[in-house]
Amino acid sequence: MTTFSLSRRELLLAAGTATSAAAVPSWAQPATPTWTGIEKAARGQTVYFNAWAGSETTNAYLQWVAAEVQAAYGIKLEHVKITDTADVVKRVRAEKTAGRQAGEGTVDLVWINGENFAAMKHDRLLLAPWAEALPNFQYVDTMGKPTTLNDFSVPTDGQESPWGMAQFTLFADSKRLPQPPQSMAELLALARRQPGRISYPRLPDFTGTTFVKQALLEHVADVSVLAKPPVTGDFAKVTAPLWQFLDALHPHLWRGGKQFPQSPAAIRQMMADGELLLALTFNPNEPANEIAAKRLPATVVSWQFAQGTIGNTHFVTIPYNAKAAAGAQVVANFLLSAKAQARKADIQHWGDPTVLDLAKLPAAERALFPSQPLPGQVAKPAPTLPEPHAAWVEPVEKEWTQRYL
Amino acid sequence: MTAFRLPFATALLLLAGLPLLATAALALAALLDAAAWRALWEDPHWLRALSLTLWTGLASTALAWWVSAALLAQGFVRQSLGPLLRGLPVMLATPHAALAIGLVFLLAPSGWLLRALSPWLTGFEFPPPWPTTQDPWGLGLIAALTAKEIPFLLWTAATQLQRDDLRQRWRSEHALAQTLGYSPQRAFWRVVWPQLSARLWWPLLAVLAYGLTVVDMALVIGPASPPTLAVLAWQWLQDADLAVNAQGAAAGGVLTLTLLGTALLWRGLQRLHRRGGQRLNGRRGAASTPAGAQPPVGLPASHLLLVGLYGAVLLALAVGSIAGVWPFPRVWPETLTWQAWHRVWDSRSTVGTTLGLALASAALALAWSVAWLELAPRRWDTALRPVLYLSLVLPAVLWVVGLYSLALQWRLEGQWLGLLLAHTAMVLPYVLLALSPAYLGFDARYAQLSASLGHGPWHFLWRIKWPLLRRALAASAAVGFAVSVAQYLPTLYIGAGRFSSVTTEAVNLAAGGQRSLTSAYAGLQFVLPVLAFALAAWLGAPRRFKPAHP
Repeated sequence: MTTFSLSRRELLLAAGTATSAAAVPSWAQPATPTWTGIEKAARGQTVYFNAWAGSETTNAYLQWVAAEVQAAYGIKLEHVKITDTADVVKRVRAEKTAGRQAGEGTVDLVWINGENFAAMKHDRLLLAPWAEALPNFQYVDTMGKPTTLNDFSVPTDGQESPWGMAQFTLFADSKRLPQPPQSMAELLALARRQPGRISYPRLPDFTGTTFVKQALLEHVADVSVLAKPPVTGDFAKVTAPLWQFLDALHPHLWRGGKQFPQSPAAIRQMMADGELLLALTFNPNEPANEIAAKRLPATVVSWQFAQGTIGNTHFVTIPYNAKAAAGAQVVANFLLSAKAQARKADIQHWGDPTVLDLAKLPAAERALFPSQPLPGQVAKPAPTLPEPHAAWVEPVEKEWTQRYL
Repeated sequence: MTAFRLPFATALLLLAGLPLLATAALALAALLDAAAWRALWEDPHWLRALSLTLWTGLASTALAWWVSAALLAQGFVRQSLGPLLRGLPVMLATPHAALAIGLVFLLAPSGWLLRALSPWLTGFEFPPPWPTTQDPWGLGLIAALTAKEIPFLLWTAATQLQRDDLRQRWRSEHALAQTLGYSPQRAFWRVVWPQLSARLWWPLLAVLAYGLTVVDMALVIGPASPPTLAVLAWQWLQDADLAVNAQGAAAGGVLTLTLLGTALLWRGLQRLHRRGGQRLNGRRGAASTPAGAQPPVGLPASHLLLVGLYGAVLLALAVGSIAGVWPFPRVWPETLTWQAWHRVWDSRSTVGTTLGLALASAALALAWSVAWLELAPRRWDTALRPVLYLSLVLPAVLWVVGLYSLALQWRLEGQWLGLLLAHTAMVLPYVLLALSPAYLGFDARYAQLSASLGHGPWHFLWRIKWPLLRRALAASAAVGFAVSVAQYLPTLYIGAGRFSSVTTEAVNLAAGGQRSLTSAYAGLQFVLPVLAFALAAWLGAPRRFKPAHP
């Protein structure tokens, strides 16, 4: 009975969000009539959401979303579990090559950012701009979190809708590592003291690439060159200090830096077993999540380098040939709602930081978000450093692969 | 019935032959890309990856072959084939990936083996920095492949030894050789083994092909930098860049050539060896037992080791699936949690997909195989076999390229039907391989007897032949079920990622490293086929006649 009344209240709340969204300020008015049309068209559609599925918390959250959008909008959300978003890009590209028209695709919604978005945008594999017309987009913190409009220095242009925030974060058992390294240089010193106990995921794993980009950021002479695509012929010169640093670091890594774990989750498991000293994540709340799930001891602490670490936003986007484009937009809008964002930020469920500006939200919705830090959460958040331009990623990964694999 | 025989056989031929040929043709067509071959040639890793492939594939095949031969020899001589085969269904049903995942949990630096020995013996407070999983020499992969292929070879040999005609002939020949003074062991090697091993050529080729081209197992336990060529090819096929995809297909082509080359080489060596072996030198060998005494009964140590290994793997998966915080060197987890199983329960559609696909593809393959063996002239059968075994012999990485192109053309990609057909194509050769010895060895005199009693062909099939072959039919269906459950590449590729099976989940999670959920899925992957084999054993059990007066 309790669960029933709760879900009823949640439904009412969802309806409330919808009505308040309908009564948006005047500048958003033109979008409103079409939005009702979109919601109507979305009813009964099946949305195939292609989303990375390596984490059970994410999968469980998406199952909750599926139940919510089914109840509120009559949309059937299918989580297509993928391991690498590049597969989806490839699939959509193959469909375009095979001559599939709008409405004939197998992918409706994609969890995406960075180079995959850049590739899809460049190859015109995306639906015409839609994201900024979503009713809930008005609450996005575009000022405080500029990465919600700039995906690895590529303007989103309304072709993807922000979903969550990420920042490069490290975590370790404080019993074994009382003084966490505060920079790449300190990390190198630690690796020298305790050889074989540190590693990072093998590129092109996302977290592995971020580790290398963080090192690049800390070693490049002039950070501003990273905001633009690399100038031809300049790449070797700019990145030389990075390779110098990695050459120095690798001999002291796990298995002599000749082999790298496949994923940050593998590193986390190895840290939990004691095989490695520290683990890396792009989700600042992951350690707290894992402590809550009793997979990590409560003595685990997380931190970011004192001078700041790379951060970015992850998005959802819709391919040009989505069969359920309307349904996909309604789902994207729901993902931006205070209710969905608060649940996502809650470490009980996922613990992915919100893209919203809590100050913009009505008080009742702001109250959905927790305020106290939990065990394992970053105690002193460090500044978010912008990602290098997406065009740096591929050459860096290529060079890394050539040098170290 | 005789009148329909050939038209029906033709229909069956087209039904299976055409799609298989089309798949093979499309897969091979992907190889006609000169730029891709050039790119492959210039890749810095492919040669080392190829040498790893050769080493792991050949070493595991040779090991599995020798151990199986030795076990069979002892089983045959000691007349203990029954006990030897008893644990077999469970081992046979274990999917490759599940075994690899379990082995990793045993052998890893933080695995059970070292936990059990630490710190009292080893002095380790933390897992040692030893490369015991994903070792650069491929030893873990060789161990896993060998452990997995021995049961398969034993079982295919058993299907031969269980044929009434062969068993009786070989037993009497073996006895005859002993009356000529050969020791039981030597009599087996001289008389039975040459005949048996010749009949194991196709299973052996399947083992070799699997060893050289396996992806899922190599992803879990194989070397990582560089990986084997099959894994490299799979990584390239998954790349977003079409040119790199073509390079992956070319690597699949290299694997095909490698397989062809090694198979021919193996065949040649075998022939050479046999020619040498045929030259009997008159040595009889020492009688291993005093004349008149019974040969020793019991199981060889290597068999016990194998059984123990499978048991430990299963236990590791079971404990791993409920482990919470579990720091080294504790032997038992600090906290236990059912969370992983809750998650499995939440996504039970995955189990449903796996079951549905496995049941449907095994049923289709069995129906086709029975119809084919019943209707097709023997000459057709012999001619079609190579085509049917294409999916066994072509590297899976290349085979899925063909399957995917075909699915794209038929607009079946991402559809359940497409996935079912892909699974059936993979399952069919195994079912046929499993069924044909017993089916073709069926005593033809039963048919004559039945006809002479005035019964029609349907009566004969339903009342006599199929009931008598119940065991082989049920076992073949179980093999098909297990093969379908274990499919990784076709499920991922043809299913367009929309369908997840327990195998795709287990392998994907193994890459993610989360122990509990990985164990849960790998455990399921283990349990489902085992249940199928148990069901088959129950269905296939011979009728028991109770004595009227106890």
